[in-house]
Amino acid sequence: MVQRFRTLPPRYWLVLVVVLFFIGLPTVIDSFQAGEWAQALVLAIAIMGLNILVGYSGQLSLGHGAFMALGAYISAILVHRYKLDYLLTIPIAGLLAGLIGFLFGVPALRLSALYLALATFALAVVAPSLIKRPAELTGGVQGIVLLPPVPPQGASDAYAAVTGAAMTSDQWTYYVTLAWGLLLFWLAWNLLRHRTGRAMRAIRDGEVAAAASGINLAGYKTLAFGISAFYAGIAGSLFGLAAGFVSPDSFPVSLSIQLLVGAVVGGLASIPGPLIGGIFAYFLPIESNQWVPTQTWIPTQIASTIEKAGPAVTYGAVLILTMIFAPNGIVGLVGAGYARLRGRLRGVPDRESGQMPQDPQTV
Amino acid sequence: MAALLELEDVRAGYGPTSVLHGISLEVQDGEVVSLLGANGAGKTTTLRAITGGVRWTGDIRFSGKSLRKMHTEDVVRHGIAHVPEGRGILTELTVEENLKLGSHLRRDGPAVRKDYERVFEYFPVLRDRRRLSASTLSGGEQQMLALARAFLMKPRLMLLDEPSLGLAPLVVRAIFEIIRAINTEDRVAVLLVEQNARLALEMSSKAYVLEVGRLAIKGSSAELKGNDAVRRSYLGY
Amino acid sequence: MQEFLQLVVSGIATGGIFASLALALVLIYNAMGLVNFAQGEMAMVATFIAFTLISHGVNYWIAFPATLVIAFAGGIAIQRIVIRPVERAPLLTLVIITLGLTTLLNGLAGAIFGYVPRSFPSPFSVQTVDIFGAFASYRDLGVIAVSGVVLLAIYLLLQRTTVGLTMRAAAHHPEASRLLGVRVSWMLALGWGLASAVGAVSGIMVAPIILLEPNMMQTIIIYAFAAAVLGGIESPLGAVIGGLIVGVTVNLAGTYLPFVGGDLQLAVALAIIIGVLVLKPNGLLGRPSVRRV
Repeated sequence: MVQRFRTLPPRYWLVLVVVLFFIGLPTVIDSFQAGEWAQALVLAIAIMGLNILVGYSGQLSLGHGAFMALGAYISAILVHRYKLDYLLTIPIAGLLAGLIGFLFGVPALRLSALYLALATFALAVVAPSLIKRPAELTGGVQGIVLLPPVPPQGASDAYAAVTGAAMTSDQWTYYVTLAWGLLLFWLAWNLLRHRTGRAMRAIRDGEVAAAASGINLAGYKTLAFGISAFYAGIAGSLFGLAAGFVSPDSFPVSLSIQLLVGAVVGGLASIPGPLIGGIFAYFLPIESNQWVPTQTWIPTQIASTIEKAGPAVTYGAVLILTMIFAPNGIVGLVGAGYARLRGRLRGVPDRESGQMPQDPQTV
Repeated sequence: MAALLELEDVRAGYGPTSVLHGISLEVQDGEVVSLLGANGAGKTTTLRAITGGVRWTGDIRFSGKSLRKMHTEDVVRHGIAHVPEGRGILTELTVEENLKLGSHLRRDGPAVRKDYERVFEYFPVLRDRRRLSASTLSGGEQQMLALARAFLMKPRLMLLDEPSLGLAPLVVRAIFEIIRAINTEDRVAVLLVEQNARLALEMSSKAYVLEVGRLAIKGSSAELKGNDAVRRSYLGY
Repeated sequence: MQEFLQLVVSGIATGGIFASLALALVLIYNAMGLVNFAQGEMAMVATFIAFTLISHGVNYWIAFPATLVIAFAGGIAIQRIVIRPVERAPLLTLVIITLGLTTLLNGLAGAIFGYVPRSFPSPFSVQTVDIFGAFASYRDLGVIAVSGVVLLAIYLLLQRTTVGLTMRAAAHHPEASRLLGVRVSWMLALGWGLASAVGAVSGIMVAPIILLEPNMMQTIIIYAFAAAVLGGIESPLGAVIGGLIVGVTVNLAGTYLPFVGGDLQLAVALAIIIGVLVLKPNGLLGRPSVRRV
């Protein structure tokens, strides 16, 4: 047993540290901030779903905001109309969204990258109007308001035992989100390590070759759509929980763009990427709005334009710059840097020039 | 007199893998030279280095001018036509459009028209099919199109990468006849990469044999044909 | 009956606009092999540039060609700066980059000009023409006519000139074209410049009708896309027919189907897209394409 511990690769220790960090986080930040981090985790879950679609199976979607809306509204309606316990509705929302996503994946097979982007973009644009329509069911423009969840006694006691304070609603939401996040990330990691992941990556890198190797192209591509919609649905449901209400305006087109930016910046086709992406996507607009006005070297004209433009300009620039300079996102940069460092330390020849690195002792 | 094409100690490769380890060869004006060797010996890479499709070190000179750091399209504009592995047919376009891309840089109108006549004389099927998509041509016909297109470029040197690949013997014979005609009538030099060594030696005056990225043998075709040991070890017949 | 006829006629008029945009999409995406999600936003920015010129007193007939020149240069610049670095990257990368461009341009336009719709002058009068008792405005017809002329010119350029040939070759077969002496990089840049100018024409023509604001091209591109899909993405004639059908259908659905109403007309377009892809993926006139390895 001890032996196995020793032989675990360093990556596992890193994961453990990160998990512990997130478990402990609410104890050192205030309740409101815990709510914010919950939202970031929500985005991370949705981005993980998008990543499976884009990064692993190579299909672009600009409509994942719509799948989040679907999940959010399914949960909200089940709670509001049918008085179900909110926690119960989360997996239901995910599965229903996943099913719809799977169905959507069928016509999607016919479209190449650009056209698929357009089609899913259309979906995202139309979604708010579609939601407003059946106003009886969805509450129309006003949406549905949800009562803040009350932390169950057991959890609250445990929390109080550790921190001496009662658990707030925001913190409970955070922990629910975290639990789902851990589950879903673990699920994704397993999925992608094995046959499904390999098949998808084969498809992404060369459809014709993959098909020739016997991979069921249509099957895996629609499966990818379904799985990623499932993730988005769960994220949407958790979003409703965290925000306390759902409305058509909570899911504009820019949300879908935000998800894509997060996926790209974090690192497509990586597991930690979506987590980093989610944090980035959530906190960047908030931080930059506070940071830009304080920078005196930016002329006021430009600064006010950036403020008015909101995150759109930043997102656009980030997407472009990332794809040009760091197409594998932050995870890619870190990975490349780490590999180069290890290479230097171990004395591996530099691939580019074919030269051995300098012996560290002699300079 | 300086050779038309000179390669001097050329090394080339793809990323970390080195394929050519110092090749030197020469093609004179109007000469047909064979570049032989087994699969993977580096023959295609040599041609690609000449037209800038792969990074190389050493020197490559055409008509005395170094081709270092030149983009492919500029190397080609200096008078080198390269028919690559796979023939490089533009399948989205018609046969006629493919041919036009061969002649599109030329300014000598009447001469171009005469050359088109000759092309259709050599390859009547290209005239018959000229409005059809190039993707409808058979393998042999595509080879003819590629050759015709190269001829229309009015190059001083043609690089041909395995023109016989995948073609029936009769078709191959016809194509090689035409290559010979182009060489003798228009004084176009040819650097011919072939796995079919016998065919190549019949056409060329000089041959180089590559082995794993290095020059194993060079000599006149007559010498190589005559040398039984060389034929059996290096040329496979 | 009169109402129905009117709806059909005005549907054909708007359909004509969709058709011209769908044609532009088909030409640009297929013939030129251009992958540009930001086509609409670039057109919108060009229209705003024209607007700025005109509101500073420049004559419409000078501002128009000036804008085309600026759009042309802008298209080339974008290709050189943003697209060329990733020339050899997979398709997905290109789409994401042009997506970033879309967001960037939209945000900038919104920040500089705001989101309040503005009116934009048109060289055509709003007077209507009587067609079998229904009315279509000169403006709608004018838009269709101008777009038709421009697209015809582009088509002729691409199919009948050497420059057009080299542009198509560069777009579809860059490596093979280089071996034929084609300066692929510059041909691609030229393609972008041209596409950008065509987009500017669409924007300037359409703005008087749908009012100028940063989001104006977004919904229209979706309609155009639906038209292209319906007609069969590879077929120019299909794009025209598709456009007309989409125009009429959306109009009729908006009036006669109570749950559609005004704001869900776009959903009709989406339904068309999905419907076609599921039932008849090659559209009305498309040919099943064979993918070559």
